[in-house]
Amino acid sequence: MWVSLRNISKIRPWLSFSLKRLSSMVKIHDCLVDELPHIEISTNPYELEAHGRGESYHPIASPSAVVNPSSVDEVIQVINLCSKYQIPIIPYGAGTSVEGHICAIEGGISMDMAKFDSIELYKRNDGILDPMAKVGSGVTKNRLNDEVRHSGMQFVVDPGADATIGGMTACGASGTSAVKYGSMRNNILGLECVLPDGTFVKCGTAALKNSAGYDLTSLITGSEGTLGVITSVLVKLHPIPEHIVSALCVFDDLFKAAEAVAMLKLRDSPLARCELLDKTSISAFNRYSKTSGNSSHEKMEEKPTLFLEFHGYSKKSIEDNIEFVKKICVEDYDALNFTFTSGEEERKSLWAARHNLYYASISLRKGATGAIVTDACVPLSSFARLMTKTAEDIRNLDVVGPCFGHAGDGNFHCVLPVLEDDSEDYLGRLQQVNDNLIRRALEAGGTCSGEHGIGYGKIKYLSHQYGSGGLHMMKL
Amino acid sequence: MKILVGVKRVVDYAVKVRVQNNTVDLKNIKMSLNPFCEIAIEEAVRLKEKKVADEVVAVSIGPKQATETLRTALAMGADRAIHVMTDLRTDYMELQPYAISQIFEKIVEQEQSDLVLLGKQGIDSDCGQTGPMLAGLLGWPQVTFASKIEADDDGGMTVERETDSGMESIRIPQLPAVITCDLRLNEPRYATLPNIMKAKKKKVDTMIAEDMGIDLKPRNEVLRVFEPPARKEGIMVDSVDSLLDKLKNEAGLLS
Repeated sequence: MWVSLRNISKIRPWLSFSLKRLSSMVKIHDCLVDELPHIEISTNPYELEAHGRGESYHPIASPSAVVNPSSVDEVIQVINLCSKYQIPIIPYGAGTSVEGHICAIEGGISMDMAKFDSIELYKRNDGILDPMAKVGSGVTKNRLNDEVRHSGMQFVVDPGADATIGGMTACGASGTSAVKYGSMRNNILGLECVLPDGTFVKCGTAALKNSAGYDLTSLITGSEGTLGVITSVLVKLHPIPEHIVSALCVFDDLFKAAEAVAMLKLRDSPLARCELLDKTSISAFNRYSKTSGNSSHEKMEEKPTLFLEFHGYSKKSIEDNIEFVKKICVEDYDALNFTFTSGEEERKSLWAARHNLYYASISLRKGATGAIVTDACVPLSSFARLMTKTAEDIRNLDVVGPCFGHAGDGNFHCVLPVLEDDSEDYLGRLQQVNDNLIRRALEAGGTCSGEHGIGYGKIKYLSHQYGSGGLHMMKL
Repeated sequence: MKILVGVKRVVDYAVKVRVQNNTVDLKNIKMSLNPFCEIAIEEAVRLKEKKVADEVVAVSIGPKQATETLRTALAMGADRAIHVMTDLRTDYMELQPYAISQIFEKIVEQEQSDLVLLGKQGIDSDCGQTGPMLAGLLGWPQVTFASKIEADDDGGMTVERETDSGMESIRIPQLPAVITCDLRLNEPRYATLPNIMKAKKKKVDTMIAEDMGIDLKPRNEVLRVFEPPARKEGIMVDSVDSLLDKLKNEAGLLS
């Protein structure tokens, strides 16, 4: 099914509407405009396409209209109207989904939350910022951090894309900082949303612990837009660390590198970031650094490498932490070398380049514009085996795919770049890498999606992962 | 070496300003440290960390909230601050560069500063005049739009500037001097919480602008302030021929 849908997306986007969808698009638009004339709505074909694309390999599926509500009341009105006419609603943040969350595969409208852009900060009695902020669901992560940039605080969840807080909540997002700070789930105190029946709900409290009633905040977090429209989120803020040091540790063997991480976590090592890149990733990294004019670090050795980061209250405490980790890596797992830097600019460019690995990976295949990004997460004791077996698959099936990821969480990604004119055979092999990976992950008791969500490409794995009991409860 | 840094409190760069009553509406609007001033403070603190300078003093001219801007500068590493209190608008509407540079001149003389670092311009007024005017009043050498500042062993400084036609390197044989800072000079640090708390204890002296014996009246009269005209909506064309026709006959872009 996925191959034939891809062929359709090669045709110019607006022609991919069948006549039936065209007429339903007009119907939806008309009834929205007639009954809710004060709400901003658009049927501009480029906007529709932009709201149906995302950053996944899934084919574009544009909604019939894009609605831009500016208040909770307007959200309620649109939801009630769409309920009446059974029109599906897809809440939209920044469109950075890599699992096709925003594709309107059953038609419907896209509800763009861009106007929910308020940021409320709170001051303590001594003028210092309270470590929380009430943020509209349309605010992006970078904008939030920009807003608090002089307060000494930061919002720590850092997925590669500049996603909206609402989108990050809906997907249970996380990034390189999760090994220390956890994912979105650990960084939200509460949220406000509107249910499909139009009810406005306040979940959670500003308190750090809450034992009252069902944990509605956790239910909505990661629900990927299926349970309601998030309008605002009460997020946690953390102080910017006083001392930060980044380190690189090179290994000859990917398996050893991954096992080193499992041991480091077993020993509860004080790591703030722990990323493992295989040698294909390093080569993509080197090429990207060269072309982006980033000369602040020299070419790295094309071997499996750990990117680490340490935070601390004093230089001494960081030095102690580094010694501890270095000893394990070098003495027990044969690391080749261990270098570190505290220079702010070098650190930033290192992590920026790590975050841009997605684009660097795509450029490994000339002409590729998109990729399949795999995302599996397993207990650390199975991590080394999973990552090396996947790297082996990629070699044996002769496809291009760097593997890298949040080793500290047992989560890694393969970016498998896709060319428009790839043969069905090549695409089949890419799918095979993904299928094998997920099968092994589930066998090891892990999950088919560590961070990116299910979207619609991974629905088929849910029954295998949770069994019929779990699915039954979700459908309740 | 004692460094004086000007830090201006301006409308936050991300805010979409509105014009009301022939002036920018500042009610309830988010104000922040001018980005170029932030870069200047960062450079001054770095010079202190390199042991080239031994004191960094931050100066801000503005209402009582300007002390918040000064606290940010102190949190980034300035040693103490001077707040020149005035309720006049500092975005060119009331207080203008000539008066501002005279205020700075007085403070520089009082402080006996060796180096003055300023942002190249305020993002509200976009004048870029305070630095050059101050240098003129003091009779000091000036280098503007610095993208790199290096202290030389003999007490002078070498400054690199970015211009539209390329880079140039200028040597200041000896201090004192005025340097204005451009975007690529450095990337300012984030103030950490402990530094923000320490900053509350650092000294901030207050002076009243109107008591300094300087004529603060604006030299230029602002005639009109208006938002740029709204962009006209584009039109959709439904064929290439129609597009060519419009380019030729309506827009006059093709012959």
